[in-house]
Amino acid sequence: MTFPRLQRRILLYMAVVAIVLWVLVPLVLIALAAFTPRSELYRWPKRIIPSTFSSATMSFFLHSYGVVSSLCNSVVVALLTLGMTLVVGAPAGYAVARYVFRGREAFRLGILMTRMFPTSLLAIPLIVTFIRWGLYDTLIGVAFVHTAMALPFAVLITSGIFSGVPKELEEAAMTLGCSRLGAFVRVALPLALPGLAAAAMFTFVISWNEVFAASILTVRNRTLPAQVLASLEAAPLDFRFAGAFFMIIPALIFMALARRYLFQMWGGAIAER
Amino acid sequence: MRWLFIGLLVSVGVTVGVASPDLTFMSTQLRPITEAEWVRTVLLPPFTEETGIRVVFLGVEEPELTTRVLAEYEAGKGSLDLVGDLHGNFLVYYKALKDLSAELSQLEALGDRTLAKTFVELGRIDGAQVYIPWMQATYVLVANKKALAYMPSRVATEGLPYLTYDELLEWAKNIYQATGEKRLGIPAGPKSLLCRFLHGYLYPSFTGAQVKKFNSPEAVAMWQYLKELWEYVNPAVLTLDSMDTALLSEEVWIAWDHTARVKTAILERPDDFVVLPAPAGPKGRGVITVLAGLAIPKTSPDPAGAYRLIEYLTRPSTQAMILQGVGFFPVVAEAAGAVPTGGLKVLADGVAAQSAAPDLLVSIIPGGLGARSDEFKKVYVDAFTEIVLRGRPIEEVLAQQGALLDALFRETGAPIPVPDVYLP
Amino acid sequence: MNRTQVTRWLVSEKALPYWLIFPTLAYVAAFFLVPLARTLLLAFRTDDGQWTMRFFVRMVEDVRFFDAFKFTLILVAIVVPLQLVTALSIALLVNTRFRGSRSFLYICAIPLGISDLAAGLIWFSLFTEHGYINSFLYTLGLIDKPIYFLSMQNLGWVVGSIVLAEHWRATAIVLVILVAGLQMISRDYLEAAEVFGARPWQKLWHVTLPLLKPSLQSALIIRTILALQTFAVAVALGGRLVPVLAGEAYYWYYLYRNANVASAYALLLMVISLLLAWGYLRFLRPREVRS
Repeated sequence: MTFPRLQRRILLYMAVVAIVLWVLVPLVLIALAAFTPRSELYRWPKRIIPSTFSSATMSFFLHSYGVVSSLCNSVVVALLTLGMTLVVGAPAGYAVARYVFRGREAFRLGILMTRMFPTSLLAIPLIVTFIRWGLYDTLIGVAFVHTAMALPFAVLITSGIFSGVPKELEEAAMTLGCSRLGAFVRVALPLALPGLAAAAMFTFVISWNEVFAASILTVRNRTLPAQVLASLEAAPLDFRFAGAFFMIIPALIFMALARRYLFQMWGGAIAER
Repeated sequence: MRWLFIGLLVSVGVTVGVASPDLTFMSTQLRPITEAEWVRTVLLPPFTEETGIRVVFLGVEEPELTTRVLAEYEAGKGSLDLVGDLHGNFLVYYKALKDLSAELSQLEALGDRTLAKTFVELGRIDGAQVYIPWMQATYVLVANKKALAYMPSRVATEGLPYLTYDELLEWAKNIYQATGEKRLGIPAGPKSLLCRFLHGYLYPSFTGAQVKKFNSPEAVAMWQYLKELWEYVNPAVLTLDSMDTALLSEEVWIAWDHTARVKTAILERPDDFVVLPAPAGPKGRGVITVLAGLAIPKTSPDPAGAYRLIEYLTRPSTQAMILQGVGFFPVVAEAAGAVPTGGLKVLADGVAAQSAAPDLLVSIIPGGLGARSDEFKKVYVDAFTEIVLRGRPIEEVLAQQGALLDALFRETGAPIPVPDVYLP
Repeated sequence: MNRTQVTRWLVSEKALPYWLIFPTLAYVAAFFLVPLARTLLLAFRTDDGQWTMRFFVRMVEDVRFFDAFKFTLILVAIVVPLQLVTALSIALLVNTRFRGSRSFLYICAIPLGISDLAAGLIWFSLFTEHGYINSFLYTLGLIDKPIYFLSMQNLGWVVGSIVLAEHWRATAIVLVILVAGLQMISRDYLEAAEVFGARPWQKLWHVTLPLLKPSLQSALIIRTILALQTFAVAVALGGRLVPVLAGEAYYWYYLYRNANVASAYALLLMVISLLLAWGYLRFLRPREVRS
């Protein structure tokens, strides 16, 4: 039965290549555009690969005010958000998955409702409160808001994850002498790790890309999107490409790091059985 | 996991804020990245050298600045020392701004500068001097020299031509008939200044007023004209907020836009473009003067320092520097003679020609609408959408939107703007 | 109940779920109850305290309301199912663990890190008159004049370009959730099914998909709620041509400074989201996994 299998293989790889091209081509175009000299960018028809490469726009961009520090700020805010969201949200997800308690459905729907709300109506009234509490223009303030935005999804995802972990395994561990917490830590948690990693990645990304709340709640300590987007508006095309590309790079790097971590869990979860 | 915890520790440490003893200058003007960098590297360093005060310049969009100033006012505590914005926007949040009458007297006492009287008057709202004039700009026509070959022959070609709107239509039509392309551009994206074109250029040129004749026979004729004109406008403009990219990529050969927004195109290829005065209609050549000013919020932590920066920015030498650097025109008489070199000269020539037009009809963006100024803009833009884009009957739309406009002025008690006041 | 009874209840097994959800509940209440209350009041009450439907009327009568409503629903109805199918296909593909599947997954997840504004810019530069697609077609000689994709005459293309851009940008969100869910389906179930002679298609339909329900539900809810709230891509590609409800809410609040009408829009969006989320929760209820 090797013939159909070969056909299937070829189809599979064709699909893979098509999808990879679909994802990468726009990114490659933007990368090329970021390094195209300005005069060439306006030419018609646009050449995909410019005749000369120029790093002038990118270096201007990198050296312009606050870009590098806002990068660090973004990382800090995203990490803080990640930590707070998981610590607060994962237990809630576990509770929703494991227990049928009164108000459970209301809780699930209720926290989702918070995300059905436009960010602008949320963040703007907060400014005055933040000023009064001294949270204005601080990274932790932004992280607080980002956590509030990420929590509903974190709870949703983790509850889905935990409900996929068979209850019987925890119960078995408890009959063997583990406490409830012990059973959770030793049995449920390791099995749920891929899902938790997904929740973590998701939270990080939400915080990283969030621009409105971050820009409205900070003055000097801006995150990368807030910093970049204010100056990109009404900027010439080459700067907008450079800016867009520059914002993508940290995401690529983060994905590379997270990928190793994510796949560790993947391999680990299977081996552990 | 380890790096996560380390990251958390570091971040907690970093979030402890450090108070900085310098000025925070937030402005909606000069915010595109090249201009902002120019401000930081060319405009402000001499000030820091002279006074020892470091200035943190932040360029933001209008709604953001308005929101912040109002929020700081409400909270009673702020971090913004000095604010730079447009006349039209100050009207929304002027109550949060300090009365600068004393500072104005101090400036005038210096004796080395004469701030344009009309502009100083404009800054006087509700009895308080809400802002000090800083820079001015306007909206002009920019044409790619390729387009000049298609200009209607009867237009005088000595010097810069003074067109009428009918001639503009003919021009765009000629290009279309010769090349098959629609090469006229008027920015019509969501953040564009289309509303200014409608209420400050078209309306006064055709009806003699911005608001008063919103629903009138002259207005109907104007909208009919615009519908015809729009046949020759590049369809992509509905997604564009400014014309510089379109001019450079030659998707558009004739553009109407703000001087600061077309500046990029002109600076990039000064030999390819020419700047023309805006066209004239039956009632005159309607133009808007855009006025930028400097204001100190009531919650400013360092009003004295902010004043010193105002003093620096209104000096004739600094005003000339601004013109040369970013193409915004001075507001002090002593700097009026300054003429920039290079690409900006093209811009300045066009603006000078416009200002010298005999049939000039200057409009000032209506004030007193306060927080509802943007609803004002919406009326004109919605009328445009309905009439030009959706083809609804003109009289019907004007009646509907006109009612909203009347209600707006009635409810806010805003005064009749210039030039409407001059109408019989 | 007397004090000892209360205390005993508080530390009992029964109270445990409530303790676990308490931090989340408190956090969310702190950040949303007040704005939510404000929004409700703003939408139904004037500044001087009169209850009115005036703002909803203004919202519905607005020139752009009908289009915004129409386009929001069209975009969600097209984009979400499309993304679900694509993400599911990719997740299943990855699950076969072919050579290079890890790198493949990494590449597919890259758009996760791209903000909607950057995505809008990238796709705008593809579809604009002098953009990459037109340049490509022109150089190949397939067209002699650029196609005006993003113009009023080609509204279908405008919506299409938004769908493509959103699909490109946000499928990764759904993908990550589904991949995690798939990974956790124990191979025991699939092996058991094979023992009973199930073919690949049957395995998919009867074992994998049902076990994937919790993740499918999460992914659908998240993606739909996010789709209803984002407008950056629609603005970048469609500008004035394709208004959406979230964009209108934003403009009314931030630009026109009319908090009342903005709140009306926000409430409308919330109602739509609630209905859809309730639908998902009802019809894709995950069950506890039993061996």
